[in-house]
Amino acid sequence: MISQEIFGSPSVLEVENLTVRRGKYVAVDQVSFQLFSGTNTAIVGPNGAGKSTLIRAILGLIPSESGQVNILGKSLNKLGKRWEKIGYIPQKFSFDRYFPLTVEELVALALPKSYFWKSRERKISVQKVLVKVNLEHQSHQRIGTLSGGELKRVLLAYCLAVPRDLIILDEALAEVDATGEVEFAELLNKLQREQGFATLQISHDLDLVSRYCDRVLCLNRKILCQGSPRETLSNENIQEVYGSTLIRYLHSH
Amino acid sequence: MNNLEWIELFSLPFMQRAVLGGILLGTLGGILGSFVVLRQLSMYGNTLGHASFLAVVIGAFLQLPSILSLTLFLVIFGLGVLYLIDTTNLGSDTILAIIVAGSVALGMIGFSFLEGYRGNLLSILFGDILAISNIDIILLVGLLVVTVLCLLFTLPEQILLTFSPDLAQLKGIPVQIYRYSFIILLSLTLALSIRAVGILLVNAFLIIPPATARLVCDQFIPFLGLAATIGAVSGIVGMILSGIWDLPSGPSIVLVQLVVFLVGVGWNQSSH
Repeated sequence: MISQEIFGSPSVLEVENLTVRRGKYVAVDQVSFQLFSGTNTAIVGPNGAGKSTLIRAILGLIPSESGQVNILGKSLNKLGKRWEKIGYIPQKFSFDRYFPLTVEELVALALPKSYFWKSRERKISVQKVLVKVNLEHQSHQRIGTLSGGELKRVLLAYCLAVPRDLIILDEALAEVDATGEVEFAELLNKLQREQGFATLQISHDLDLVSRYCDRVLCLNRKILCQGSPRETLSNENIQEVYGSTLIRYLHSH
Repeated sequence: MNNLEWIELFSLPFMQRAVLGGILLGTLGGILGSFVVLRQLSMYGNTLGHASFLAVVIGAFLQLPSILSLTLFLVIFGLGVLYLIDTTNLGSDTILAIIVAGSVALGMIGFSFLEGYRGNLLSILFGDILAISNIDIILLVGLLVVTVLCLLFTLPEQILLTFSPDLAQLKGIPVQIYRYSFIILLSLTLALSIRAVGILLVNAFLIIPPATARLVCDQFIPFLGLAATIGAVSGIVGMILSGIWDLPSGPSIVLVQLVVFLVGVGWNQSSH
């Protein structure tokens, strides 16, 4: 395990020997890694590599068979109020398109409960965060009417409505078109630098990963390699992680 | 019907209780139904409605009063169904369909072994809102007060849980406690509604008013308020119509809900 001194910053997430089973199938096998404050880490790997499963197990949304997860120095069941420090953007967000909830209402749900009945304070706080994700004009729109990219930005606003130490994005850019993808990545990067939270994201876009992430974990049920994008995203490594049929999209830097 | 007959009809205590019962059932159904519809539990009311036949048959064997057997067994069935949905991978619609079939089959077999007053049991299929007693009214008021208080204290959490259980869990909301408490509240409401509106129509009270409100509202609180209002107003209007034209009461209320729903569909079509 990488020692804390390398980055000189406290650890926000420690995963040790985490194993998750789906029936008889071992979906995540003995995974260990550590995440430091203010850093950006990407998890890459082919479909079915257990990336989402890993993230959902880290967050306690599905049970793990063995291993230990510490967030902000505490095990999951002792996190209590510290859950508020963790933001999460799920991959597939399937909901009823006629769900009666506006952008403003959804973002307000991230605020402390006391805000709910104070409409003025609530409006001001929500508007502030919507400005950050360039959605200030859509606050009264029903969420079912948003495009894929807009919805992701609303979820990002939900994450940013309270101060976070770590934001976990499970393939935030699925269902977003190519321009939206770059815009979202740039926006996230800008906000990350301003506010200093750490990010852990699953991504398929290796170009964006090498541009914005400090560290990469290559996962295919086990961690096959980890390190800086330059070290990990070499052709040999990628071939090992994704298999020989990989088509790598190389964008111009 | 002239004015005098009107006043006479609605001054009868059973009629007043029935109108009040209609309002209370409509309001409760509208509020709880808002969450039922959005949590994709639309078949839940139907399932527990059918299970209430089994509940009454078991109650008849144990010689319990029907209100007690309905309350007790519907809460047990409700929690059991949620547990089955959570612990199998079959999907809630499949589980609910199995429970409907199972409880009707068991209920019918039990029914065939019962001796004596079997006719009363069949009245539960259609219900009778005019038979609402003072105790029923007190229980309904109590349930409405509890429901409104619960919502006042936990509304933002309930909305988040309805929208995304994952985000709710990560916000530290006790998701499972809330889900199971909701089912208990829903089962109690159904237990009190079944004798008034019957197995066959009880689900309408949970589904039609919120479905209508969803067609016209973009925001959550107006949606919830409109669903409760449609429930209450349909209760009054339905009872009055059934009084004027001597129609069966429960179906009259459902018919009013249906008309309001169709108006909502028209509104939705013309504004989108």
